[in-house]
Amino acid sequence: MPSNNPALASFVESAPPGELLDVTKAIKSILADDPSALQSLTPAFEKYNEEQFATVKLPGGSEEVIVSPHNSLGDGRYYDVASQSSFAFDHATQKASAVQSYVLESSRLDLIKSLLKSLSLHTTEHYPKSSLGVYPIENDSKIAILTVASKYSPNNFWNGRWRSLYIFSPGNGSLAGSLKVDVHYYEDGNVRLLTDKPVSVSLPSSANASEVAKQIAIAERKYQEDLNKAFGSLSEGAFKALRRQLPITRQKIEWEKISGYRLGQDIGGGRSR
Amino acid sequence: MASVDPLDSALDLLRRLNPKDVKKNVDYLCQLAPSLTEELLESVDIPLAVKRCTKTGRDFLCCDYNRDGDSWRSPWSNEFEPPVEDGEGVVPSDRIRKMEIKANEAFDVYRELYFEGGISSVYLWDMDDGFAGCVLLKKSVSPSPKSSGSWDSIHVFDAQDRARTAHYKLTSTVILSLGTDSENLGTMDLSGNMVRQVEQDMAVEDDGSHVANIGKMVEDMELKMRNLLQEVYFGKAKDVVGDLRSIPALSETNRDRATQREMINSMGR
Repeated sequence: MPSNNPALASFVESAPPGELLDVTKAIKSILADDPSALQSLTPAFEKYNEEQFATVKLPGGSEEVIVSPHNSLGDGRYYDVASQSSFAFDHATQKASAVQSYVLESSRLDLIKSLLKSLSLHTTEHYPKSSLGVYPIENDSKIAILTVASKYSPNNFWNGRWRSLYIFSPGNGSLAGSLKVDVHYYEDGNVRLLTDKPVSVSLPSSANASEVAKQIAIAERKYQEDLNKAFGSLSEGAFKALRRQLPITRQKIEWEKISGYRLGQDIGGGRSR
Repeated sequence: MASVDPLDSALDLLRRLNPKDVKKNVDYLCQLAPSLTEELLESVDIPLAVKRCTKTGRDFLCCDYNRDGDSWRSPWSNEFEPPVEDGEGVVPSDRIRKMEIKANEAFDVYRELYFEGGISSVYLWDMDDGFAGCVLLKKSVSPSPKSSGSWDSIHVFDAQDRARTAHYKLTSTVILSLGTDSENLGTMDLSGNMVRQVEQDMAVEDDGSHVANIGKMVEDMELKMRNLLQEVYFGKAKDVVGDLRSIPALSETNRDRATQREMINSMGR
């Protein structure tokens, strides 16, 4: 089996929120535990966890912290600003270990700390459960702001995740990012909601943390309202246009008389139009 | 650890991965585990392909049940497109083909009444104690340049003949894909499939009764499934988003709830 198997990487990449271990288990069974093929999954796991903003509770910690490309220290280690620690993350099992104290060195440290404070006010007001990360990136020229909220209910056959990512450039006040929602429902079926909304806001270059947090709150509220409306318009639009609930006569078909339905009706019968 | 059947694992995987990619994922699984190919192609429903019947000029739907190698039988002409190499390809017996023609006419009416467009195809085949078949329906729409949708229904059934009645077993899958793309919303894709089964005994006078019985069962099933899809796609999915993030501030919601509880408690006193 080739070590960079595109099929396996693609399976891992599209694992629904909270179901990576189930997907891995199924892959193992299909491959009859072929160890070389499983070994080849390591890069896919790493990519998945970083893209999905996987969260993990540190040994001895109480809050779940984020794993992402923006707080990676390399060699499978990541850091968390609030708890001032770094940790090793096992991408296959999604477990953390080898926690060490880690003091962030950044010329933006004050802004980062105020952003964490302002944004946590917003996240606790709008996410029942979420993790927040604020990290300096690109040699301190920009700040990455991440929020991830996951809720898993496998007993009821659904799982969901909301991800927000913003890149704030203190130099010019630009705040750009994306909001992504991923919902999986799989009782007697498999239904998936996947969304991606780019966000772009311009703030004054002197904008402080609470102004940034305010813009984020506005963008997210607006998006959630638009998304709720979109459910309604898809239901009333495309869904209704696909299949009627009942024929225009508002009566079910009389199947014994079905041959008579042809009379006086122009039925196209799947001819191309 | 007890070993899990690889086919069950493959089906479990397909129940989890993005349903929009089901065709690609089935192809991948067949590459990884060639021994599962036949069973996967039989048991996994993928969006229906459309072919044109050369003889009648009408479109028909393709699935594993009208396939012979790389050719598919048209329900309108009873001929394979393209013609099957080395031989004729399997066609139903005369009695079953007559019923198949009637069923195709009937579901053509059904399709027009419920879908007001789209394509339908019915295929029947002989069984030792009766017959079996599938009813396929497909429609795609784009009500605005920014949104689109497609519906594929795949109803597979068998009918076991008994004295004056028949026992019908129906397994129905609906694949529903909806998407929208706009500046306000970004991209939104809501896609998937749902499966339901039902068994029923119904009176049979002649072969015409079979067509009517199957028609009723499929009609009832699609009504039920349409309601279910509505509930899951526009109710459940939206509720989960609301569970992840709350538009009103949670402190206010919690305060309102506490007030409500207090009121209820005080009324009970």
